[in-house]
Order: sequence, then C-alpha cells, then structure tokens
Amino acid sequence: MMTDLADLSMTEAAEAVAQGKSSSLELLQACLANLDATNPQVNAMIWEDREQAIAEARAADEKTAMGGTIGPLHGVPMAHKDMYYQAGRLATCGSALRKDWRPAVTATVIERLAKAGAYVFGGLNMAEFAQNPTGHNKTFGDCHNPWNLPYITGGSSSGSGASVAARFNYMALGSDTGGSIRLPAAACGVTGLKPTQTRVSRYGVMPLSFSHDNVGPLARSARDCARVLTVIAGYDPQDPTSSREPVPDYESFMDGDLRGTRIGVPTNIFLDGADAPVVTAMEAALAVLAARGATISRITLPLMDAVATYGGIVSRCEAAPIHAEWMRHDPQAYGAHISGRMYPGYALPAAYYIEALARRGPILRRFAKEVFSQVDVIVTPTIKTCLPTLAETDIDHGPPGTEHKFMAVSSNTRPFNYLGLPAISIPCGFDPNGCPIGLQIAGRPFGEGRVLKVAGAYQLDTDFHAARPPILENTIREKKGTTA
Amino acid sequence: MAEFETFIEASIRQWHGVEPPNDPGRRLAADLAGTIAAFEKLRGTLVFEDEPASFEAALQATKETA
Repeated sequence: MMTDLADLSMTEAAEAVAQGKSSSLELLQACLANLDATNPQVNAMIWEDREQAIAEARAADEKTAMGGTIGPLHGVPMAHKDMYYQAGRLATCGSALRKDWRPAVTATVIERLAKAGAYVFGGLNMAEFAQNPTGHNKTFGDCHNPWNLPYITGGSSSGSGASVAARFNYMALGSDTGGSIRLPAAACGVTGLKPTQTRVSRYGVMPLSFSHDNVGPLARSARDCARVLTVIAGYDPQDPTSSREPVPDYESFMDGDLRGTRIGVPTNIFLDGADAPVVTAMEAALAVLAARGATISRITLPLMDAVATYGGIVSRCEAAPIHAEWMRHDPQAYGAHISGRMYPGYALPAAYYIEALARRGPILRRFAKEVFSQVDVIVTPTIKTCLPTLAETDIDHGPPGTEHKFMAVSSNTRPFNYLGLPAISIPCGFDPNGCPIGLQIAGRPFGEGRVLKVAGAYQLDTDFHAARPPILENTIREKKGTTA
Repeated sequence: MAEFETFIEASIRQWHGVEPPNDPGRRLAADLAGTIAAFEKLRGTLVFEDEPASFEAALQATKETA
C-alpha cells in the first residue's frame, strides 16, 4: 500500500489528498519507506527532518479535515536540491565549505510552493556548487543511478533526478545552468523542465552563473512540471531580473492535440557522435509525435559555434569571482574537477565576457527568426550517448582526457542556456545497460506551454515516464528476506 | 611548461592571487588556447546592427505569442 502511494505522480498525489483518498501523512510515510529502502545505495538525500515533516503532514491533514482552503500542492511532501535557502535550515550546496551552513533567508520559490500547500522533508545530493554534469561529489559521496548503480545520475541536480526515480520524492526543484535539470531527468528517467531565462525567481537560490541560472522542477510527468511552473513562475520584486510576463495555467495547454505543431530535428551538432540506441529512441519518439498530428522536418540550427563559444565564456567568467575567496584560501576543499574547471575562468579578459553578453540578444533574435519561422519546437536527444559510468567520468581520479568525456555529457543542453530558451527532458527509452534515454524539446522564449503540450502528448501514448527502476523491486525483496 | 600556460598561470596569480589547484586545472587552463581560437573565428561574423542588444528585449521580441 505504501509503495503504491509513492508510485503516484505529484499531481495524482495532490489530488488524492484533495479528494480525501489519501492523507498527507500517508504520502510522507510512503516516501520515507522507499527512502529507507533505496537511499543507502542511491545516496540521493543528504539530510532529512522527519520530525518537522510529520508535523507539517499532520497540519495539512487537519486543514483538509476542517475544509480549509487547499492549494494545488496541498499536503505533498518534497525535497529539493540542497541549494534552495530556507531560513535556519541546512543548505550545504553540496560542498564541504558549506557543510553546516544555514541561511537567514528563504527562497521565493520555496515560499511559493509552501503557499500552494507543499512542505520540505530534506535536502538532496547535488554536484558541488552545482558544477558538474555527472553527479560526482567528494564531500557527500557520489549519487548513483537508481536504474544501474555504477552509472551517472547526471548533474548537477543529481539527487533531484535520483530521488524522483527511486520513488521517495514526488517533485524536486533542480537548477539548470548548462543542463543541470535536463541531464539528471534524462539519466534517471524522469521529466525535468528548464524554463525560459527570467521566468522563475532566483532569490534565495545559490548562484553559479547568474546569466544562465534557472530554477525548475524534476517530477514524474510533464503535467507535474506544468503544475509546479504555474505555482513558481512570475515576477518577484526580490529578484529584479525576473520577468513580468503573465503566468498562464500551464496545465491548460496539455490537451494532447499536436495537429499543426511543427517539430524540427537539428541536422548539425546535436547528433554528431550520437550512439545508435539514442538515435533509435529519438526516431521512435518522433513517430509517436507524428501520429498525434505533428509534422517533422530536419533543420540546420544557425550560429551554433557562436552559441557554444560565447556561452562557455559567460559561464566561466561568472562562476570564477563568486568562488575567488575560497579559491585563494581553501582550494583543496573543492573536488579537483570543480576547482580545476573554475580555474581558467580567472584568465578570461573582461572584453571577452562583455562581448559574449552583448552578442546574446542579437544572436537570440537571429536564431529565432531563422528557426522559429520554420518550426515551433526543436527536438534532440538530451544526452547523445549511452550513459557513461561514474568511473569513466571521474576527473579527480581518472587519466588526462577524462574531462573531455565528462563535458560531452552536457553538449546538447548547454546551447539552450545561452539562448535562454525553455527546454524539457522526457524519458523515451532505455540503452543496452538499462539506463534511461531522454528526449529534449525546446521552444521559443516563454513558450513553456507549447513545450509542455508536446511532452504531455508524448506521455499520453507512452509509459517510459511511469517505469519503475529495478532497485525498488530488489530492495523490497531483500527486506522481505526473499531472493531475486 | 609551454609559454602560453606559463603566461596564463602568471596572469591569474597576478590579477587574482589564485594558484593552479591541480593538474586538471592546469590542463583546462591550457585549453584556453582553443577558446581564444574559437573567439577569433567569430570575428567579423557578427555585428551590432541588431539593436537593441539587450537580451531581455530579445526574449520579449521573440517570445511565443499563440
């Protein structure tokens, strides 16, 4: 019974509470049962507060019983990437340097989720300071893929992807500066949405590269992501960079009708060096979308060299000064791959950085004019290869050259951060090692509705997003004392 | 050590007081030669005709309207 409740999507769980079919405490207990069963192997959660969570669950249930106002996430327990500040609670940012750090402020997105009825029961593992695409972490231990433990979870929101996949979390916030929501979503077989740049407030969220940082959900389905985005999006006076663009009800876009939708598949860059199982899964997904009424065309995306070069400069230049004091005085506190990647950022000239930022608007305009006149959304593999193992991408202990394999993981996601476009990753198959394959769908600025519409339509006809990793069956068997 | 890498490390030391933290850092700093080459290749391919240059304005100008 407990496991069944943990199998619900976030929206199903919220509706179960709202309709009195389940209590918030039952949802929490279902999550905690799977947490206890899987986290010793997956290592997705790094701190928890059961006492407060139980109190909040009981308070939610009392409110339900009294017929109080119920928000769209009422009674849903959640845990987030451990870089969302909650006044007085831990926010380790995945680093030894903040191992015991407790911020004085609460992130706007946490407040908005709470206002909608959700509560937080712990903090999730992540790449140190959100700076790797794999899930390695020298302080809290590497996060392991629930589908196949030696393989990467994707990062930097490693625990966010793994916790949702391992069924002890209905929804986790991640952050995405170069793919850090979409990569763990793809690797762990869950759905993850990076919104348009400026769509969601970053107040109270650990910065990495403020021009590229985005806040967004990882959850079981596109509908889950739509509901969360409706709650967290919108202008925030505490983050003056957040957009005043009106926030629609994103779930209203999800009617499954793709007639008239034009899908473009890039012929350049995104499939270079792609593994056959990944390409096969993408082509099968395109057939599903075509059957729903979409038209598929192959397009060449312009300006990709400029996007890659300028995007890399912006990210490195913005990360370096944030960490300068620690890099001067305590560089060995970082994993070697973190400090090593930040180090070149100090050598880039300001003129490069300013040019990279100044070109961003004109490049987006030209890209949009050339691409979105032909297609409505762009579809690519989220990760173009079968997943590598943690060992194969371990820069800290691997041979020279490991860093190139490590960086290749995020080659298909980074372009959409510099361009500022919304992009989602949805599960669309499995590779020969049993690890999930992700499909990336990107749209125009503030086109999250259309992106979610396409993703949601695909999930009406497929069940990859509902698949359970074998670790759940194995751990349940072990607990019952039976053999596989 | 190559002249380029020596120059990069000296520059970072001089301007920021940061030392090379490890071998991956040294290797990635050496890769800046590739970044410079990529930047050079872009010279002349983009101009400032597309005013306003503001990224936020571009987001608005190119947004989904349906």
